[in-house]
Amino acid sequence: MGWLRVIAIAALVLLLIPVFVLLYYGLGPLRNPAGYSIAVFRSIELSLFASALAVVVDVVLFTPLAYYLARGNDRLVESLVDIPISVPHPIIGVALIILDSPITPTGKFLLGLHINLYNTILGLVSALVIMSAPIFVKSMQPYFESRDVSTEDFAMGLGASRLRTLFSVVLPDSFDGLTSASLISMSRALSEFGSISIIAYYVLQFPFYGVSPASVTIYNFFSGNMAGGLNAAVTASAAMILVAIPIALGGHFLRRGPKK
Amino acid sequence: MIEANVRTRLGQFQLAAELKATGVTCLSGRNGSGKTTLLRAIAGFLRVEEGFVKIGGVDVTRFPIESRGVVMVTPSSCFPHMNVDPHLIWGARLRKTSPSSEEVSRVKSELGIDYGGPVRNLSLGMRERVALATALLASPKAILVDDVFTSLHQREEVIASYSRLVTERGIDLIFSCQDETDGWLAAQMYRMDNGSISGPKRLEKA
Repeated sequence: MGWLRVIAIAALVLLLIPVFVLLYYGLGPLRNPAGYSIAVFRSIELSLFASALAVVVDVVLFTPLAYYLARGNDRLVESLVDIPISVPHPIIGVALIILDSPITPTGKFLLGLHINLYNTILGLVSALVIMSAPIFVKSMQPYFESRDVSTEDFAMGLGASRLRTLFSVVLPDSFDGLTSASLISMSRALSEFGSISIIAYYVLQFPFYGVSPASVTIYNFFSGNMAGGLNAAVTASAAMILVAIPIALGGHFLRRGPKK
Repeated sequence: MIEANVRTRLGQFQLAAELKATGVTCLSGRNGSGKTTLLRAIAGFLRVEEGFVKIGGVDVTRFPIESRGVVMVTPSSCFPHMNVDPHLIWGARLRKTSPSSEEVSRVKSELGIDYGGPVRNLSLGMRERVALATALLASPKAILVDDVFTSLHQREEVIASYSRLVTERGIDLIFSCQDETDGWLAAQMYRMDNGSISGPKRLEKA
């Protein structure tokens, strides 16, 4: 394991260099008060709120899909799940805009129901759901696969359908797996930029009126759209990393097999 | 009656077995002889390539697992998050029956279940007893017990009690074991060897 460990750690350091650089410069030499201003904390608050909502939707809507993939051996569906994160992310933002545009039939229908995705919390959460759900599914699927199927076989023999078995037998015993997959997908949602910069550059709804998601705010500093420039972008990035790291690490530390 | 005439292949392993089981039946055989494979085919967890499975005269070969009326109990068959009492009647509730509290108490007593807390806290042997009781109280047409009795304390007493309880309810029971030691506790015994089956025969107590 000696050299393998050295190579593995060297590869890890390469991966983490950007994070360390941002933390060092953002909290040290390039620290700029604009990077930890109320505006930045409001945008982090919006990102946390929308990401948490997206994860709730992920759990409710996509847990059955993950279980289906774990037990169904459906290769086609399994490969289709990856599509949203396999395309350039702005495409998803454009797709949501078109879906809800007054010039398309779907848009006319949705707007007729007062469902507006553009610069709303609903639009932001919708984009985050699409971008985080594949990660949630790919985290839950191996968890379900690692479970001993005897319990489920027993439930079905007693007369439970697959769906009933999922909700009555599997999920009540899957707290670790659900929590881990939720934190990992929340971490993914927090990091999203491409799609939300199109569908929800900022939110025009209470209680986040005029607030941009954190990743967009950092971009605004960097591009000069907000006062503070590069230094504020680096400082805000460091602040965002400090929020995101515990969520990401929490998800991975909880990632273990089901209780026996 | 459980009738099975199944042929299927799992990798290099070929299962070709014919069985007619009424009442309490013992299925013996060494590890890898095909006992579990045959029981899984009867329960519907394994699709058979040729042949049929009939339960109570009804061909259930293509029935979904939950509609067969067959419960398979293995050493891992329990719901750890439930408390014992709700666990015991979970299957019965699914079948829209509700065993009386006297009946539940009697089954608990016969199987030596003297605990009411979370199943997660139970020993393996006690979990197996809870699973056996749950299967029984669900009143299926057949119960398949795979390698459960072998590890239980006072094994012979448990098999005798369980056999009595299933017989009272008209449930057919097949239980598997490694050797023929417990065969005399069953009305008939089949023996499996390398995917093939022989029997039935009747064993007397040694």
